[in-house]
Amino acid sequence: MIRAQSLRKSFGNVVAVQDVSFTAANGTVTGLLGPNGAGKTTSLRMVYGLVKPDQGNIQVDGNDVAANTSAAQACLGVLPDVSGLYPRLTPREHVRYYANLQGISGADLEQRMQSWFDLLDLKSVADRRVGGFSHGERTKVALARALIHNPQNVVLDEPTNGLDVVSTRAVREVIRRLKSENRCVVFSSHVMQEVSALCDRIVVIARGRVVAEGSSEELLALTGNTNLEDAFVSLVGPQGEAA
Amino acid sequence: MNFSRLLVVARKELMDSFRDKRATYTIVFSSLFGPILIAFMFTQLAGQERAAQEIKIPVTGKENGPILIHWLEQQPGVEIVDGPKEAESAVRDRTVEFVLVVDKKFAEKFSDSRPAPVQLVSDSTRQSSRPKVRRLQSLLNHFNSEMGSLRLMVRGVSPLIASPIKIEEVEVSSAGQRAATIFNFIPLFVIAAAFSAGMQIATDATAGERERGSLEPLLINPVPRWQLVGGKWLAAAIASLGGMAATLAFTGFTLSKLSLEDLGVRFHLGVPEGLLLFAALAPMGLLAPAIQVYLACFAKSFKEAQSYMAFVLLAAMSPGIISTFVPLGDKPWMKLMPLLGEYVMSTDILSGKIPVPMLFVAGALSAVILVAILLWLATRLFYSEKIIFGR
Repeated sequence: MIRAQSLRKSFGNVVAVQDVSFTAANGTVTGLLGPNGAGKTTSLRMVYGLVKPDQGNIQVDGNDVAANTSAAQACLGVLPDVSGLYPRLTPREHVRYYANLQGISGADLEQRMQSWFDLLDLKSVADRRVGGFSHGERTKVALARALIHNPQNVVLDEPTNGLDVVSTRAVREVIRRLKSENRCVVFSSHVMQEVSALCDRIVVIARGRVVAEGSSEELLALTGNTNLEDAFVSLVGPQGEAA
Repeated sequence: MNFSRLLVVARKELMDSFRDKRATYTIVFSSLFGPILIAFMFTQLAGQERAAQEIKIPVTGKENGPILIHWLEQQPGVEIVDGPKEAESAVRDRTVEFVLVVDKKFAEKFSDSRPAPVQLVSDSTRQSSRPKVRRLQSLLNHFNSEMGSLRLMVRGVSPLIASPIKIEEVEVSSAGQRAATIFNFIPLFVIAAAFSAGMQIATDATAGERERGSLEPLLINPVPRWQLVGGKWLAAAIASLGGMAATLAFTGFTLSKLSLEDLGVRFHLGVPEGLLLFAALAPMGLLAPAIQVYLACFAKSFKEAQSYMAFVLLAAMSPGIISTFVPLGDKPWMKLMPLLGEYVMSTDILSGKIPVPMLFVAGALSAVILVAILLWLATRLFYSEKIIFGR
């Protein structure tokens, strides 16, 4: 479970996140929805401990991120907004590297790795260098790498951004599976359809603030719209500006 | 303290870097460059020495001065060959290095005891001909004074009267000593290898990691950041020490193939000497990557980091470069300074003086302390949002 309370962060004079709070429970998929530059990525970076909030606090499975970063990070699996792979390593080596950093090795690791490669359809390329991989393949490798230690909480920053249909379906499949395993999944997106298709709860963020929160039905009811896109636009404003 | 994560990082960085052809080439070339240059300098020196010992003198107008020619032929290592007709243009066109021209009136003037004219045609801008021209000049001077003395004696005068001073040339820069100067290049190249062999890893694992966006996911792993930094440093240090060892080994191998005894070189770079040099210089293999890892953290890109590295390399080589012109001196404090100490100690080893074991310990210790400080500073940078996201 992830609880973020009153997060605030500015870089110089620019306030990136003004006031963001949300709770993501186990067994649910929570979507952070917002236009580009709304503060989604910065909020998630605070969750996984790479950016220190100016105000507010975050707990991951009860571990305070600021006070006990390593313990919180140990319960997290993260796919950041760039996949960040090493072009000269193979998918197997990527996954093994992170698993070793998490303290996992041996037969257990090989078995887990194989099941992820099966699920993500990476078997045929598992021993090729990722340098020539497509965007979809890279994202899947990064996903396998982020989840190899079976984290209870999973944070995905725009996981389907720029993916083709097949890869998008694979990512959705993974998200559904994580949910069925009673894990806590938080992912961000600026794509309506994505969020409505997957999320149990939607947190709408605009200009660094949470402007609405609830299930897609609740958001429709709140705005009096019949489709979610209209609801989104009326929440964040026509240019994603006004809240 | 548990170093297991540090080793995981180091192993990955080494594997990653050895797959990078550029990195591998850098290590191979940086460790081959020095030995090849040293071999080249030695062969040049040996060649010049040999050339001066055994000279072929092109003579134009041999028939004009049989006395001189006969005398020259008697001298050891001298061979007389026919010179070109147009001596000056031949030297200018570089078809010959120098020519001795014997004038038509040589025999006539010589028998009249008047100065008999000969011309020594040479081009002073030609470095390679200088030792030979000098040898020929000294041979002619020798002939001159020998003949002069004989003439005075014939006239009942002591030849000593004609020599108000006696010049005794003491050549300090003997071949052996010049060879020793070349030896001073060995620590220079080994230190250069320390900086260049680990450079690729030190920059790729820091600035490169950030540029490619792989630093962010890496830092989300619950691993203390000092272990990440330490692992990156360790990988670079292994490459650096490897490059240094390879440079020494290649140098030893090359020197064993050259016959240095001809140059009066008594030093022999065998396995024990090589190990001593390695022990003296190894602290740089630890320190250089630490400096590079720390500096590369500031660079916004891999390219920017590499341009910093060029300056670092130049700075590190400067004491060595200076020492090949001016001796660094042998003040006790120098041996305790990082970098300077390594140079001074290896100069001692190369001249046959073995430093006391305390100095090896002190060198290693000061390097370890500096490495710890630099890695601590680099670890602090790895906590900075500015550094992580490159703002």
